[in-house]
Amino acid sequence: MLAIQLAITGLQTGALYALTAVGFSLIFGSTRIFHFAHGATFVIAAYFFYGVFGAGLGLLPSIAAAGLGAVAFGVLLDRLVYAPIQRHEGSFFTVFVASFGVGIVVQNLIGMVFGRGFVTVNTPLSRSVEMIPGVYVSPLAWIAILCTAIFLGALQFFLRRTHTGMALRALADNPELVRTFGLNPRMIAATAFAVGSVLVVPAAIITSATTGLNPAIGHHVMLISLAATIVGGIGSVSGTMLAGLLLGLAESLALLVVDSQWTEAVTFAILFAFIIIRPAGLLGRATAH
Amino acid sequence: MTRHFTLAGAIVSLACLAMPAVAEEHTIGAIFPLSGTNAVYGDVFMSGADLAVEHINADGVLSGPLSIAYEDSQALPQPAVVAMTKLVNVTGVPYTLSAFTGVSKAISTLATRNSVVGVNGGGVGPDLAELGDYFWNVIPLANLEMRAVVPFLVEERGLKSFALVYVDDPLGDAMHEELETILPEVGGELVDSFSVPTTAQQFSGVAAQVRASGADVVYVASYGNQQLQIVKQLRDNGVDAQLVAYSGYAVPDALALPESEGMIITGQGVDFDSEDAVTKRFVEDYTAKFDRAPTAYNVNYYNAVLVYGALAAAIEAEGGEVTGEALLEARRATESFDLVGGTVSFQDNGTLLFPIQVKEIRDGAAHALTSVTFD
Repeated sequence: MLAIQLAITGLQTGALYALTAVGFSLIFGSTRIFHFAHGATFVIAAYFFYGVFGAGLGLLPSIAAAGLGAVAFGVLLDRLVYAPIQRHEGSFFTVFVASFGVGIVVQNLIGMVFGRGFVTVNTPLSRSVEMIPGVYVSPLAWIAILCTAIFLGALQFFLRRTHTGMALRALADNPELVRTFGLNPRMIAATAFAVGSVLVVPAAIITSATTGLNPAIGHHVMLISLAATIVGGIGSVSGTMLAGLLLGLAESLALLVVDSQWTEAVTFAILFAFIIIRPAGLLGRATAH
Repeated sequence: MTRHFTLAGAIVSLACLAMPAVAEEHTIGAIFPLSGTNAVYGDVFMSGADLAVEHINADGVLSGPLSIAYEDSQALPQPAVVAMTKLVNVTGVPYTLSAFTGVSKAISTLATRNSVVGVNGGGVGPDLAELGDYFWNVIPLANLEMRAVVPFLVEERGLKSFALVYVDDPLGDAMHEELETILPEVGGELVDSFSVPTTAQQFSGVAAQVRASGADVVYVASYGNQQLQIVKQLRDNGVDAQLVAYSGYAVPDALALPESEGMIITGQGVDFDSEDAVTKRFVEDYTAKFDRAPTAYNVNYYNAVLVYGALAAAIEAEGGEVTGEALLEARRATESFDLVGGTVSFQDNGTLLFPIQVKEIRDGAAHALTSVTFD
C-alpha cells in the first residue's frame, strides 16, 4: 500500500514539476534566454492568488490575478530587461545575471509586501481522504493531475497546430530563417514568455494550498525546472514534461529504498546520470560541435 | 622653563578634571536571519533586543549610548561565520547575539579565539552548552524541553510510540539522539525517525511513511517555514497522531496555522503576569510598541541585552574597559541577574536555567498544561 501511496503522491508532485519546468523549457528552447527569474514568475503568481483570494474576492478573480501577474511579469521582463541587453550584444552570462538579480529583487519585494514567513491558502481540498485502506488522496491531487493534462495538451496543440506555435518552434531552430519569412522574432519571443509564464500559474496556485508559500520558494522551483529541462532534453517540451513527472515520481518512490534525507538528492542523481549517460536528455536531439 | 611646564601641566590637569567624562559608545553585534526562509525569526529576535536597547539607553545604564550592529546569517553557518568575522575584526564588538544551533556552533570558535562573548537566545541544540567559556545561552536547551514533554505524554497521556521528523542538521541530530535516550527511560518507544534536508519542502511522502508507522506521537524537530510545511502536510496527508514540537514552533505564523490546533509544544516558562518591575515594564512596553503579546524569543533577546547592560555597567563602575574577557569575568562574579521572568543565575557552563512549560495550541495561542522545573 505504501508503494501505491507514494506513486500517487509522486504523480501529483511530478505533475506540478512538469507544468513549471515546461514553461522554463519553452522559454529557454525558443529564445535561448536563461530565464532564471522563472522561479520569480511562480512566486508572483502564487502570491497574487494568495493576496486576492485572502481578500475574499473569490476564486476566479484570484486565478485571473495570478495569470495576469505572471504574464505581465514575464513579458515585461523580456521587453524591459532581456531585449535591451541583447540589443547591446549582451552575452548569455549577462542575461543570466540580470535574470538572477530580478529574481532576488522579486523575492525581497514579495517579502516586504506579504511578509517573509510561511503563508498558505486554507481549503478543504488539500485534505486527503482514504480512497482504499492505507491510501489517502486529496482532491487537489486529482486537480493537479487534471490541470497538467489540460495545460500540456493545450500546449502541444498550440505548438503543433497554430501558426504562432509553429513560429515558436521555428524560432528555436533558426531565428534568421524566421526573419526571412517576415516574422518578428521579438514578438515571437514575447509570446514564448507569455505562454511559459501562464504554465506556472496552475502549479503556483495548487502549491499555495498544498505545500504553502514563502518568498524564497522560487529557488526550489528553478532548480527543479532546470533539472527537468536537462533530463528531458534541452529544447524538448515533451521531454521536459516527461522528465518533470519522472523526477516527481522518483523523489517520492525513492522513500521505499533510501532514507528520507536523500530524496532531494535523487533528483540530482538522475540529472548527473543523464549528463553522463545520455547528455541529450530523454527526447533531446544529439548535436555535434 | 621647568616652572612654566609645571604650571602648564597643572592647568591641563585641572582642565581635564573639570571636563565631564567622555561618553563611551557601546556597540554589540547580532547575527540573525534577516533574509531567506527563516527571516521571520530575525524580526522576532530583533524586536526583543531593540526594546532592551531602548530601555538601557533611556535609563542611562551605561556611560554612552548602546546600539546593535545587525548582520544577516540567513540561519546558515557559512554566512554567519562571515558576519562574525566582520563584527569581530571590523566593528570590534565584545558581545554578539546569535541564534540557531548550526549558526551558534559555527561562530563559537571565532568567539573563543577572539575572546568575544557569543550569546544564544534562539538555538536549542543540547550541545550548545558545551561551546566554551565565551559562549552563553539565555534559553533552556532542547534536552530539557524533551525531558519535560516526553514523560508528560507517556505517563499522563498514555502515548507510548513516537515517530520523529527531524531536520538534517546539528539541531535535528542532537534532538534525535536525545529522544532515543529519553524514551526507553520512561517506557516509550521510538518506532521510526525521518531525517529531512534543510531545504526540503515536499513532505507528502514522509507523511505516508509516518502514517504507516502507526505512531501515537509525531515529534517535529525542524524550524522556520519548514516546520510549518511539515505540520501542514502531515495533517493534509491523513496523519491524525498527536503532533509535538519544541519551542521553535512558538512563532506567530505557526500558532496561527489551522493545522497547529491541538499540537503540544514546549518552551521556557515565563510568567508574563509577574509583578516584578523588569517583567512588568517589558510586557507593557513590548505590547504597546508591537501591538502583540511577547513570546519567549522576545524575552530571550531582551534578557541577553539586559545581561550586557548589567555587566558593562559593573565594569565601567570599576573603571575597566568593556572587553570580552572583562564581561566573562564580570558574569562569573555576578551571582544573579534581574531579568524578565525573575531573578536567574547562569550555570557553570554559561546556560541560564528556566522552568519548562508544556503547552497546547488552542485557538491560535499556546496555553500552559504543566510546568517542569529542573535543578
